[in-house]
Amino acid sequence: MSRIDLLDAATAPISAKSSFADGDPGPIVAALANVPELLGPTLGFVGAALGDGAVSTRHKEFAILRTSALQGCQYCIHAHTAVAFDLGLSSDEIRALRGEMPIEEAFTNDAERRLIRWIDAMAGATGPIPSTVWEDVRTDFATHLLVELSVTIGATLFLNRFATAFELPTSAATAERLEEAGMQ
Amino acid sequence: MSDTATVVGEESDLQGGHPVTEAIADGLLPGRIWLYTNYNCNLACSYCLTESSPRSERRELDPATMIEVAKQGRALGFTGLGVTGGEPFLLPWLPETIVAMAAELPVILLSNATLFVGERLERAAVLAGHDVSIQISLDSHIADVNDMARGPDNFDKVVEAVPRLIARGVHVRIATTTAWSPDDDRLEPLRQLVTSMGVAPEDHLVRPIVRRGRADELSLGIEARPIDIPSELTITADGAFWGSFGPTVRGGRLDTDLLLTRTVLPLSMPAEVLVGLLKGMPAGNDARLGIR
Repeated sequence: MSRIDLLDAATAPISAKSSFADGDPGPIVAALANVPELLGPTLGFVGAALGDGAVSTRHKEFAILRTSALQGCQYCIHAHTAVAFDLGLSSDEIRALRGEMPIEEAFTNDAERRLIRWIDAMAGATGPIPSTVWEDVRTDFATHLLVELSVTIGATLFLNRFATAFELPTSAATAERLEEAGMQ
Repeated sequence: MSDTATVVGEESDLQGGHPVTEAIADGLLPGRIWLYTNYNCNLACSYCLTESSPRSERRELDPATMIEVAKQGRALGFTGLGVTGGEPFLLPWLPETIVAMAAELPVILLSNATLFVGERLERAAVLAGHDVSIQISLDSHIADVNDMARGPDNFDKVVEAVPRLIARGVHVRIATTTAWSPDDDRLEPLRQLVTSMGVAPEDHLVRPIVRRGRADELSLGIEARPIDIPSELTITADGAFWGSFGPTVRGGRLDTDLLLTRTVLPLSMPAEVLVGLLKGMPAGNDARLGIR
């Protein structure tokens, strides 16, 4: 049960109706529609930040799921566990990104390990990023990729706090998938 | 208030062809802006769109916002203001605020007229000589019929208040909310009563009950889709809406289906959203139900 009204096709503001035209748009849109003038700009930003880019979808999902786990956002962890499965991440990789097993046990690629350490420094800590973490990640990832990932992490942090603050519910379909995979 | 509000409100913007100004000039966007001053009321009418009553939350617009809406509305090319509630005259600062707004644009101020005695009557009298009309509800020439919907003694209070206001130089209009059509012969006794109180026939408005708010809960009035409701920009403490029938309340909850934006100032923001929606609507007569 959400803490706020999640609008539907009947209660959606007239200026946000198009977001509901193709059925249930999900709880984030349903919550944002309470302030319809923010819906378009926010979805535009989040869509660009989390969507396709120069960074591979696999590494982008690292950033999203890991950030969500570090922030303890149940809604985002559930949603992006399902997305990670769809993208072909293994159960162990997903569990590791969720903080349920050591990264080193699930990931053998050094570049990916260094990337996850950088994500941890970005999303799971405050203050400067340690020089060693920055220099390590720079050996494998170009500047533009890290800029893109930093935007992904920033948008994810926003979504994490938004979904957590208003206790947005995991969809029934996602919950069912996670139960089947033993990853509630 | 943001700096943008001031920039948008400057006269020079009009010469540049602001989309809102053009939409008003082209007849796409109605020229009147409605403002809901507050949601509480001393009455609890059966067909009230906002479920207003003495127990309702006040949720009032502040005077500075109302005056700024009038200023920016004028700069954008709007041609008039409508002020409603709740009962606006429950707000002690109302008359002076209305006078300030009327310096920008003509104002129609809706009231149930049951508070116009003693000091409140004299306070209302400051509106005389300004471009302000008080629009008062009166639904039947038969006291019991009128009072059934609007509460005990409403009829007597209205027929006493109207001549008092007119005697003090205040322009008065009468609005009748009814299931009958405006030209129905059964309204003739009411028309005569209105005229006898000193109100000109052209200042007697007859309109249908719209099935929203409390009227919807009681299955009263006519069903109205957005295209049926005049698309007058409407400003409330909860945001900006499509039409004065937009910010309705049912079961204690605000209807959000006709919400445009939560942001009301700068006024250009909700006005531009409304114009954008109107440009996307199929051509038609949005007043086909006679909702005014």
